[in-house]
Amino acid sequence: MTRPAPLPVAEGPYPPTEEMLSEPVSSEDQDRGKAELRAAWKTPQGWRYISAVNNTEVGVWYSLTAFGFMLLAGLLALAMRVQLAFPDMTFLDADRFNQFFTMHGSAMMFLFAVPMFEAISILLLPAFLGARDMPFPRLSAYGYWCFLIGGCFVMGSLLFDAGPKAGWFMYPPLATEEEGIGPDIWLLGLSFIEVASIAAAVELIVGALKCRPPGMRVNIMPLYAWYVMVVGGMILFAFPPLIAGDFLFELQRSFDWPFFDPERGGDPILWQHLFWIFGHPEVYIVFLPSIAIAAMIVPTVARRPIVGYSWIVLSAVGTGFLSFGLWVHHMFTTGLPQISLGFFSAASEAVVIPTGIQLFAFVATLMVGRVRMSLPMLWIAGALAIFVAGGLTGVMLAIVPFNWQAHDTYFIVAHLHYTLFGGMVFPVIAGVYYFYPFIAKKLLSERLGRWAFWLIFTGFNVTFLPMHLTGLMGMPRRIFTYPESSGWGTLNLISTIGAFVVAAGFAVFLYDLLRPKSRQGQIPRNPWDAGTLEFSHDVPEEAWGVRSVPYVTSRYPLWDQPKLVERMDAGRYYLTDSPDHQRETIVTSVIDAKPIYVQRVTGPAWITIWAAIFTGGAFIFPTFHIYKPAIVCGAFAIVCVLYWLWTSTARPPKDEMREAGLGLRLPTYMSGPDSVGWWGMWITMLGDATAFASIVFGFFFYWTARPDFPPADADHAIGVWVAAAALLGVLAWAATVLAREVNRRGNVMLARLALVLAPLSAAAAAGAAWLAVRDLDPVSHVYPAILWALMVWLVVHLCAGIVMQCYCLAGSLFGKVTPRHDADLRNVTLYWHFVALKVLVTAAVLGLVPGWLP
Amino acid sequence: MTKINENEDAHEFRSEAVSLWRITFGPLIWAVHFAASYAATALICAKGGAVEGLRLGIGIGTGVALVAIAWLGWQAWRQWDLLCDRDWENDQGTGEDRHQFLGHAAFLLAVVSFIGVSYVALPALLIGTCR
Repeated sequence: MTRPAPLPVAEGPYPPTEEMLSEPVSSEDQDRGKAELRAAWKTPQGWRYISAVNNTEVGVWYSLTAFGFMLLAGLLALAMRVQLAFPDMTFLDADRFNQFFTMHGSAMMFLFAVPMFEAISILLLPAFLGARDMPFPRLSAYGYWCFLIGGCFVMGSLLFDAGPKAGWFMYPPLATEEEGIGPDIWLLGLSFIEVASIAAAVELIVGALKCRPPGMRVNIMPLYAWYVMVVGGMILFAFPPLIAGDFLFELQRSFDWPFFDPERGGDPILWQHLFWIFGHPEVYIVFLPSIAIAAMIVPTVARRPIVGYSWIVLSAVGTGFLSFGLWVHHMFTTGLPQISLGFFSAASEAVVIPTGIQLFAFVATLMVGRVRMSLPMLWIAGALAIFVAGGLTGVMLAIVPFNWQAHDTYFIVAHLHYTLFGGMVFPVIAGVYYFYPFIAKKLLSERLGRWAFWLIFTGFNVTFLPMHLTGLMGMPRRIFTYPESSGWGTLNLISTIGAFVVAAGFAVFLYDLLRPKSRQGQIPRNPWDAGTLEFSHDVPEEAWGVRSVPYVTSRYPLWDQPKLVERMDAGRYYLTDSPDHQRETIVTSVIDAKPIYVQRVTGPAWITIWAAIFTGGAFIFPTFHIYKPAIVCGAFAIVCVLYWLWTSTARPPKDEMREAGLGLRLPTYMSGPDSVGWWGMWITMLGDATAFASIVFGFFFYWTARPDFPPADADHAIGVWVAAAALLGVLAWAATVLAREVNRRGNVMLARLALVLAPLSAAAAAGAAWLAVRDLDPVSHVYPAILWALMVWLVVHLCAGIVMQCYCLAGSLFGKVTPRHDADLRNVTLYWHFVALKVLVTAAVLGLVPGWLP
Repeated sequence: MTKINENEDAHEFRSEAVSLWRITFGPLIWAVHFAASYAATALICAKGGAVEGLRLGIGIGTGVALVAIAWLGWQAWRQWDLLCDRDWENDQGTGEDRHQFLGHAAFLLAVVSFIGVSYVALPALLIGTCR
């Protein structure tokens, strides 16, 4: 059998010379390109509008939804402030107060802060990069609809007096014992949203790595893209531990598996570890992208390039790492060994260094620049002032003895609001003012903006500055009222007044945001004289993103490449037309952004909404302990996703090469590490492996924390079946790898045979894993429970792997997967590398480790 | 006019293939050192064992980590090549600037990681017991 010819690679001149760029494009060609692009990128009209997937639509919905949840959570805070205004108030009863503070924290974190980062990034990142869209637009849309459904479900619980009330961190045993469905709503509703967050993170990382315009090497990409990469990476390592924790927690709530029940060998501290391994990086996950907005605004205001670009990259990457060494500083009072506390105290002090460096870089840029004070800069200035104050109390709280004193008092409330307002709310509002001309093609009011700023800034300090004192006077968090004799009354009243001033400020901001601005007329294209690509946008709006994808050679192309915008408009760069009326964007190499291929991106679809609705069903029904409809919904969700993948991704193209402009010819199909799909899979699997590692961590945690793990007389997993699961799992992996290799060499029949063998072997492995632990009783003790949890996790992944193998087999039979067009098969093999790893680790933990433990 | 598939800096390009990872090697050493110190402490303090041995072990681990970071930092410093061209910014869209920028970033990250590892080792130096 002859080996098939390899896929074509890019050919033609690159980089473009000045001569080639000054070559005029005929007006017929320009008009034809414009007409084709308009047809390809047409936004659906009327009620079909909600089927849009373009980043500019989804990003706006996403931001507005997150902002809406933020306002709701803010209203909860106002109600709490009213209750606390005077001693012995009866505005809210204790139960409702508990629901309100729990939902205030949960909503601000899960429904506002993290989704807002994703929303803004989906909206802006392609524009920063001169790309047409994100690499997986339907994934963003799916994530958005999941977020909307999950958010409404979680917030809606308050209306039925059924909200969770154990605090936003859901500590067991309080939360595991809590009556009602509140904790289940929290666990399942937010897990659902976390899945959407990870989807967005995958998309953003791939976007920043692979969708940069030609020439935009890593040393000249906008700082925002650096931050997006770092934050996306952090989400991948921070959210999975929480998902793993939610998984264990819900198993305990639903089936009474005693993971956090000390009576049966469990340990509530494990939840605290898993929660805060997520929870502390989380605050940097919301801080870094917001400060990234400052990194875009400051150079514009100072009218010069940022000072210390490398230093800011250092601080973003450094903070990203160090923030994973801080989680125990939320647990200083749990009785961990002193030396351990010392490690976390030290790391908490060390993280100040990179955090401080970026603030100094901003100040330095402003000092050496010619500052033109603008409204966005006012908000950034406010942000820096507030954040520095919050950072300093953070340094205090990182010191163990002080932390013991201030733990669980209003001092903490003051500290965290200073960091979150300064580090997130203010920079994001600055970003809204700064990017509004790009987003809405209108300007926000200067006068209203100043009013909003001074109201929020003053109100904020009036609310939270006294709380430092209230906390030092001993007022604990989360109490619904206090006696007059405590002496906290005056300070609380001041805080309440301040809270209403903040609310007034937000009302002004909201009005300015939503008021009709049709009388404003057409705004200038680049109102702030910014230097980055987003302000090459089209006014009035065009849905195509950029008229042509530019060749970039500078950090501030609009300042340094004077003819750039004119040439982009005239279609003198890349991808200036779309002969097949297909949505496309250009994919480049990771380091040097050399063009690799033209990626077809997906267009408007209803299937993403259906997939989100069914995924929602699969998460929401179990809240009420209704499992059959949940399983049906889960199956439908999988069918929807398969349909969407089958019909619109990685299909062999009609033409293998495409004229991409400037004489460059680019392939239209790629497979393996050059393609965006492969990167999406690789990044998703990193996150998935982290969740798995968290469960394995749980196993070893029980062993160190509990003397009776495993219990002396415990039954163990059956060795023969464990060994069989390991062998069969590895066989399924080997068959998948074999299928990829022989398929690539042109031996399609053998590949199909391997793809029949692989799922059979995987199914047998799943069965063997189940048999290995079938006789153990997970309710009796945490040891059998964690073995069962590992088995369930493995079986779910094997089942997903079986679906993928069958998908590839079907692809091979129906001509979607061919020896040359094997992207699906390569991505599935990558998935199976990770499954093989999980098989081996699970088998070792089930079969070998219990025998080794002293 | 250069063709896209004839790569004039092919050699250099190959050496950079892992660079985006390489800038994280310093912080990765910090992470490994941190996790290992934490895990060893949790084990020794929970299961009983020689705290002196633990402190010595952390001390040795810290020494190894610091040497490794210093070596990475030295490599990165040479890649940054500050003393030859006095270029602090490396803001041109050229292969050379990209190469030196990655050196600069890796160097700075090595410095922060060095400080981070030293900080994390301090508790083991200063605190003598688990309680």
